[in-house]
Amino acid sequence: MTFESPIIEWAPLAPVLIVFAAAVLGIVIETADPKVWIRRRLQVALALVATLAAAATAALQWSVLDGDGTRVVVDRIICDRHSLIWMVMIAVFAALAILLFSSRVGGDDAFAPLAAAAPGSEEEREASEKGLAQTEVFPLALFSVGGMMLFTMVSDTLILFIVLELISLPLYVLVALSRRRRLLSQEAALKYFLMGAFASAVYLFGAALIYGGAFSTSFTIIDTAIVQYHGREALVLVGTVLALVGLLFKLGAVPFHAWTPDAYQGAPTPVTAFMAAATKAAAVAALIRFLYLAVHRFEWEIAPVLWTIAIATMLVGTVAAIVQTDIKRMLAYSSIAHGGFVLVAVTSFEREALSAAVFYMLAYGLATLGAFAVVGQVREVTKDGSLGAEATRLGQWAGLGRRSPWMATAMAVFLLSFAGIPLTAGFIGKYVAFKAAFDSGGWPLVVVAVLAAVVAVFFYVRVIVLMFLTPVPEDLKDAVEVTESTGPSLVVGITALATVLLGVVPSVVLDLASNAAILVP
Amino acid sequence: MGEQELFWVMSPVIVLASLTLLFARKAVYVLAGMIVVMIGLAVFYVTLEAPFLGMIQVIVYTGAIMMLILFVLMLVGVDQKESLRETIRGQRWIALAAATGLVVLIVTTVYRIELPIRDIGGMNDGGNPQVIANALFGEWVLVMEILGLVLISAAVSAIVLTHLPRSGDRRSQAERAEERVRARLNPVNKPMPGVYARRNALDVPAIDPEGKPVPASISRVLKARKQDKDGSEWRAIGKDEAAE
Repeated sequence: MTFESPIIEWAPLAPVLIVFAAAVLGIVIETADPKVWIRRRLQVALALVATLAAAATAALQWSVLDGDGTRVVVDRIICDRHSLIWMVMIAVFAALAILLFSSRVGGDDAFAPLAAAAPGSEEEREASEKGLAQTEVFPLALFSVGGMMLFTMVSDTLILFIVLELISLPLYVLVALSRRRRLLSQEAALKYFLMGAFASAVYLFGAALIYGGAFSTSFTIIDTAIVQYHGREALVLVGTVLALVGLLFKLGAVPFHAWTPDAYQGAPTPVTAFMAAATKAAAVAALIRFLYLAVHRFEWEIAPVLWTIAIATMLVGTVAAIVQTDIKRMLAYSSIAHGGFVLVAVTSFEREALSAAVFYMLAYGLATLGAFAVVGQVREVTKDGSLGAEATRLGQWAGLGRRSPWMATAMAVFLLSFAGIPLTAGFIGKYVAFKAAFDSGGWPLVVVAVLAAVVAVFFYVRVIVLMFLTPVPEDLKDAVEVTESTGPSLVVGITALATVLLGVVPSVVLDLASNAAILVP
Repeated sequence: MGEQELFWVMSPVIVLASLTLLFARKAVYVLAGMIVVMIGLAVFYVTLEAPFLGMIQVIVYTGAIMMLILFVLMLVGVDQKESLRETIRGQRWIALAAATGLVVLIVTTVYRIELPIRDIGGMNDGGNPQVIANALFGEWVLVMEILGLVLISAAVSAIVLTHLPRSGDRRSQAERAEERVRARLNPVNKPMPGVYARRNALDVPAIDPEGKPVPASISRVLKARKQDKDGSEWRAIGKDEAAE
């Protein structure tokens, strides 16, 4: 028997390959074990250059792309305009997140100096005094970013599973690396890991059933198999529902959301920002590709499932966010609700939904990165006068507008965008998402979504009132401080500006997004 | 030929063994059950003319992964008890109801399906491992590369979470011995269990020159499991003689 060389179009993979090469190079730097300060600078520079270069390469490919797209591996990995726009978005989110990863407040970054040391142990204190740093976080984050970018191109259930693991594995570990409140962080990581492993198993079960019915793992072939093989499509349908569980888990849709609040609260805030923005974007991209290319002929059967999930996600996310007293948990529940809003668009199975989802996730991701960047800057002051952990209790945010007017203003912009107030990106995002659902006859879903959005305004505005109209409580006067370090300030500035710009002149990005509403099978 | 008979013989064995996951009290029994399941699957693979997969199943899962888990259990799991307290009320019943629903759904679906008999003769032409190698390094080569990246990130993650660099200088054996003498600790090795006692089993403490048992001679694992003896009944001088 003879060996046939596979045909692979390498060129469209360039952005992904850049990120992976940088990740592997980062590991090589770690093994060379240079001094901490050299290592840190090298890793930060490498990660930033890699993510920005990846974004630029993907954008360049968009401009030179002839036709709709390229089949990297026929039937399995396909690079079209839709995946390119997601790739640019994820790479930009990643670059902003890397800025947050590298920021230091009072000389300390957000990560444990020595993750293997037991919390509160002698070794930990020693490592902290020596100024050690766990710089492996940068290559690990890059592996995850590369996986997310690849995720948007995959058209094959088996490859989707492997890339899903590549995305998740580094994330599980990053969640466990918080410098402060380490037990909470480790508990969050364990929860995320166990639930994630379970969701992956359910996904794999579904993929196996699909294979049993369609005799293939390729989306294109599954699509034709559903029509051709009468009598076996039930197997594909059951498999589809189980496979959806795995993807919806990453999106944090109810009832697969239970990990989200704990993981978002326990993780180091830069990692929370990264997960909330980039992972969700990648999950939506893969969900769209799976739903629209592989199983869109099951629209009639799956739609009720997706509708139920979308409604449950919006309601649970919104209602649970109202009663939270911790800003990180509140933002976590709000991100669950946003997952529901984007599902409203996705369930329409219309071409419009493709561009709506892109715009929605861009608006949501920018505001999320900015909001968590602000959260990372509001710090408790310990008794000896040094900066401590993040002040995440809502009470500690009272009078933030007096402490740092521009940080508070930026936070207000992000919250208004979350709420979907006109002149912010969030409003346009909600408008296009709901319009896509409405045009395809999903008006009951839109009614629920609008109601949820109105209720959600309550808890966003509550935080704004707390920041600007409530005076600083006497006993907290010196107990909270807002630091304005360079990296996060830059991120806050960029994302706030982008949020306002997208709200005022959305047409440029909307045009790009509607150009990207093409899926190549 | 005989495949069906073998299936009906092996599958009850596998199902019973997998039930240990739910009902066995000790983690080691669960592990033993899993090993039976893994070997049973390997038998299926071999009868379905996928001998390479069958062998890999035995070597990798049974041989490597299960043994690793066994070692981990032996090293860390002995003095820990599993908490069976439910933090969410009625969780067990909710889970049972959901699981029953899933079973009913999948069984009814699979029951209704008519799978055609596919002719896969000639699938293994040129040898089963060769065919798999061609698939892995031909059509699926990109996936193999991605798996390489998954392995790198897994290895680095494991090191990040567990590796403690040595703090302080490395001390030589002579220095450590000197320190122990200075601190008036026992300068020599601890005695082995059973030394000078009437039996030399692992759970019997050694006897010192005065005829008293030496508790330090027994492994701490046995102590944690409360499987050690206090040694009084195996003293060199018996209980009654000592009393006289």
